[in-house]
Amino acid sequence: MRIKSTQPNVVDLDMTPMIDIVFQLIAFFMIVTNFEQTQADERVKLPENQLARPPMTPRDQELYVNIGFQRDDQGRLLDPQPYVFSKEGPKTVTGFGSELQMESRVAQAKKIDPKTITVVIRADSDTPAGVVQDLIKLAQDHGFEKFALKAKSQPLDE
Amino acid sequence: MILRHRSSLQKIEMQMAPMIDVVFQLLIFFMLTLKILSPEGDFNVNMPIGQARADEDTELRDVIPVRLSANPDGTLKDVALGSRSLGNDERVFDRLNNDMVGLVGRGAGGFSDEVEVEIDFDYGLRYNYVIQALSACTGRINPQTKEVVTLVDKVKFAKPRPRPESAE
Repeated sequence: MRIKSTQPNVVDLDMTPMIDIVFQLIAFFMIVTNFEQTQADERVKLPENQLARPPMTPRDQELYVNIGFQRDDQGRLLDPQPYVFSKEGPKTVTGFGSELQMESRVAQAKKIDPKTITVVIRADSDTPAGVVQDLIKLAQDHGFEKFALKAKSQPLDE
Repeated sequence: MILRHRSSLQKIEMQMAPMIDVVFQLLIFFMLTLKILSPEGDFNVNMPIGQARADEDTELRDVIPVRLSANPDGTLKDVALGSRSLGNDERVFDRLNNDMVGLVGRGAGGFSDEVEVEIDFDYGLRYNYVIQALSACTGRINPQTKEVVTLVDKVKFAKPRPRPESAE
């Protein structure tokens, strides 16, 4: 009886297509990821509008202010009082005045006129509009003059 | 002379495993750090400090007053352009937009620099309605080209209304 000497058959796995795809994915995620520190707060549900377009020219100086409600996981309001979500935690609009004052002072120390800084207001769509106006008034008291109200861009319907 | 005959070229086996490890690490890193942001746009509001300066500035322009009044629960009660009430249904901002085109664009839907819109709203009105009114006053989308046509560039808010007692 002849016994065939069988060498262990090494299956050579072709890795090239997999590596191709993985590199494509890495390239995709690298492009899509933005490391830019956005100052947007996820708790704020912005109003939607078709006319809301990003500014044509990027602004030099911006100060982001997020106003919204504290909600639970299901999106129900935990507190009917709107808060400014600042770096130091939620604050009432009047309580935010000290922070605006500090921002104004820091700008002046850097030889930047607060008038040239745009205060970008990201307010929740259910916030009472008077609260937004209170905030604008407060910012004016600290020397800010330019304001921009943020809204989510809505796609054009046919 | 003995020539050593090389039967075949020696194949260098490349070690792929470490590279694939690193590549997968990178892939996972980028997947986890990905944060999908929806595009945001903004409306500029002109709020100069000091009433005197503001008055001086607006003297040269026509001011179109838009009044938004609210129900106690924050919903829209009425929209008024000047002294004319436009109602409060879902098409009210379309009507406001059409009236603005009539006033500013003189039908063609063009940009006007001599006009300023002053939006006056109740304290408790939901911010969403203010944005809708701002949008209706500042521009419209050309139905043919789908591009934004600016109607009014200058928008300001009227003097704040007092906070209602019930809001406390």
